[in-house]
Amino acid sequence: MVTLEHADIRRILPHRHPVLLVDRVLDLEPGVRIVATKTVTGSEPCYAGLDEHLPASAYAYPASLLVESFGQTGAVLWLYSAATAGERSEGTLIFGSAREVTITGSAYPGDVLRHTVEIDQLIGDNAFMRGETWVGDRRIATLGSVLAVVREGLAAGTGS
Amino acid sequence: MSEAREKHLDELREIVAEVLEVEPEEITETGSFVEEHEADSLRAIEILARIEKKYKIDIPQSELPRMENLKAVYDVVANQAGWQD
Repeated sequence: MVTLEHADIRRILPHRHPVLLVDRVLDLEPGVRIVATKTVTGSEPCYAGLDEHLPASAYAYPASLLVESFGQTGAVLWLYSAATAGERSEGTLIFGSAREVTITGSAYPGDVLRHTVEIDQLIGDNAFMRGETWVGDRRIATLGSVLAVVREGLAAGTGS
Repeated sequence: MSEAREKHLDELREIVAEVLEVEPEEITETGSFVEEHEADSLRAIEILARIEKKYKIDIPQSELPRMENLKAVYDVVANQAGWQD
């Protein structure tokens, strides 16, 4: 059973503050599955400047960031697994797509997102992943197909 | 056209339409995915992945540039899967 702390994650992912959205890896089975957490705090940039008269619901963690956090978690699994197998991918890590995403709940400052991600298909420098996001015993998202890719050089002309 | 070919073409059309987010009838046999539906390399890899999964075959990535319309996709898959349509 592999666990990774934040310092390890920084050596795996190219993302940096404030867009590095994985805090800790609780469990990782190379090439198969990962469980990782991201703590939502009131000091997230997405809450900066919110009007103080807004209701609690305004502080729901944005779905876009939740999906990004999930994708980064999958990328940790993919890149760690590749490195362990002695396969290094040169290039830029790109978020390709997210399909069949169902959001069924929200997370708020103080909550810990727990992503469980499985590699579904690996085709060259393209990784298809699926999984769920939980807060405690509440499942708040199901992600049917998330694509992450590594492309050489700049990310010009790919994705939309 | 044989029934098997018709069925396979419909299945492939369904996959392509789903990835490109259009109605299946918008996908013609020779219409270019790039020119008519603004497909990019990521959509292409998604189409390839879904086909590999559905038919349990491996398609070399070197075939991707050829898979520019439905007919070309059919030809590549038929060849890899050994369809005798």
